[in-house]
Amino acid sequence: MIEGLLGALAYLAQPFPFFLVALGTVLGIVVGAIPGLSGAMLIALTLPLTFYMQPVDAIVLLIGMYVGSITGGLITATMLRMPGTPSNVVTTFDGYPMAQAGKPGRALGLGIAASFVGGIVSWIVLLFLAKPLSVWATRFGPFEYFTLILMAMVLIASVSQGSMVKGLIAGFLGMLVSMPGVDPSAGQPRLTWDWYVLNGGLKLLPVLIGVFAVSQIIGDIVAITKRVERVETTMRGMLMSVADWRDQAFNMLRSSLIGTWVGILPGIGASIGSIMAYTTAKNMSRTPEEFGHGSEEGVVASEAANNATVGGALIPLIAMGIPGSVIDAILIGAMMIHSIQPGPTLFLTNADVVWAMIAACLVANVIMFAFMMGSVGFVSRIMYVPRTFLLPVILVFCIIGAFALDNTMFDVWVMLGFGVLGFAMERAGFPLGPFVIGFVLAPLMEEKLRSGLMMTAGSIEPIFTRPLPLIFLLVSIALLLMPFWRSWRERRENGPASEPAE
Amino acid sequence: MARGRSRRPRGDPDGTDTPAAPSAARNGAGLRGLAAWEVGVAGFLVAVCLIAIWELRDARPGTFEPLGSGPVPRVTAGLIIALSLWIAWRAWRRPAEAIVDPGYEPRPWDAAIVAGLTVVYVLVMASRTLGFAPLTAIFLTLAIGWLVRFRARTMPWVVLVAAITGWGCAYLFTRVFIVDLPGL
Repeated sequence: MIEGLLGALAYLAQPFPFFLVALGTVLGIVVGAIPGLSGAMLIALTLPLTFYMQPVDAIVLLIGMYVGSITGGLITATMLRMPGTPSNVVTTFDGYPMAQAGKPGRALGLGIAASFVGGIVSWIVLLFLAKPLSVWATRFGPFEYFTLILMAMVLIASVSQGSMVKGLIAGFLGMLVSMPGVDPSAGQPRLTWDWYVLNGGLKLLPVLIGVFAVSQIIGDIVAITKRVERVETTMRGMLMSVADWRDQAFNMLRSSLIGTWVGILPGIGASIGSIMAYTTAKNMSRTPEEFGHGSEEGVVASEAANNATVGGALIPLIAMGIPGSVIDAILIGAMMIHSIQPGPTLFLTNADVVWAMIAACLVANVIMFAFMMGSVGFVSRIMYVPRTFLLPVILVFCIIGAFALDNTMFDVWVMLGFGVLGFAMERAGFPLGPFVIGFVLAPLMEEKLRSGLMMTAGSIEPIFTRPLPLIFLLVSIALLLMPFWRSWRERRENGPASEPAE
Repeated sequence: MARGRSRRPRGDPDGTDTPAAPSAARNGAGLRGLAAWEVGVAGFLVAVCLIAIWELRDARPGTFEPLGSGPVPRVTAGLIIALSLWIAWRAWRRPAEAIVDPGYEPRPWDAAIVAGLTVVYVLVMASRTLGFAPLTAIFLTLAIGWLVRFRARTMPWVVLVAAITGWGCAYLFTRVFIVDLPGL
């Protein structure tokens, strides 16, 4: 383990790889700081530029962007009450009141320090858990994998913001969209309408760019008149004193562990992690009444947890090929584009890539901390960039990105179509995370189910007779039934007037 | 269509002996806001899934395993249809929500016009009648210009940004990243 890590760190110490991690982190911070742009959008748009890079270089660049984008959103959340990324929503609760009270530097300083601690704690867990988990996962048979993915899908839908039914629809739709093309098991085309361009299926990149970037651009243009209120930036009080570190140490550690744990759970991501850590911090605080009115503990809990989800979410990705978040789903796509097959054998087949990912996560956190402490004042000015100029330019980059994958205009039309669909789904309250994760996981899920059935001559008995598939199945059923049970209990307590579960 | 016409309170098949539930039907409004989007998206998904199920009618059974190509997408489409109908039904039955002031003036027409310009931009690009750089510069001038309402004071900046992006992207992608660009 140590040799692999040291080797990767030595590689990242070379000028070009280090430049890539630093560039990725800084770009991630900048994009995270611009309201309306997200890390998923940045990474999806950068993917085509990595085609000609070495796989390791491409992956470290994307990891830098991942870490940077989660942190960059802290600035807008604090200064504008507009979360730069969805994972910073909770930071607005206390960061903005602190900025309004004349302490923007203090809020940003606490947030940056908490982000750094969250990133490092989750990195330690990643370092020690990824390999043992991948060794364990190599024992998985097809039915274990099938039920694990099933559980991941239900979990994603059940914790998505809004209705669980909408989360399930989005997940199933992502699965269905991944199915056109030549069926790998039978070698026959399906859902192609005899249209040859669909024989290869819908590619991940145009769908991703459409769903995350184009839909966001459409939504931002609709809200183009939204005014941004400026808060005077004073960076006084950014550095935390020893007493601050002592006071916040337990909160930081607890929130980081919550964030890491939430990150490990497939597909949930940073938003839920920060909400859980914030709620826990509030429940355990001596001054819960300050939460929502500028509580320092609130900022620390939210930022430590959302950054901790990054390392946590990389664990199932590296160990099992299951994305821990939407950005991880995009990273899986990036690995596939570079002919790297994610999954439990990754440590054997592409150990250099795995160790580079783990090392890049550490280096990106250090760069993020140094850059944010040194230039947060400058970055905070970027968020006022006029969106009337920015959005059409990003649209051009989307078109180039979709086209560059295969040099076909068909991909550009696919991207635009999914952009409109993504916009409509968002307006109707359908979460987009389950859609992308369903799209990435469905081929694997179907392949495992069918190869399992091939092994057992069509019997699904192993799902009920082997311990792991049975556990995964029972958890899936419990997760599915939980909202209905909760709703039934509420209705029994509050009377029939309360709304049934969705 | 007014929502109330097809709505009847539970346990009242005729809809005559109890007053209608407070809803959009009472004030004459149709589906709007979130409910309209929900019904629209759910309807679209049902249509797409029905087309997919129709396309799968000839899917061959498996040779080495019992499933074959058809059942997984068919079940997935069936689940989407069932859940979409549930969402549409819930949206239809839900009392109309008051439209919340978002704090800014939404501009859906701006989005529609930029989307239209984008479609024309991609069509011209696909026809290869104009090079990427000038075409992109024209598209950006029109799209950004529309968003800033072609204000005379801002237009020189718009043209400058459009030209830099158009020719800058062409140089960056074809010379630095060695990526082919669409267009002539």
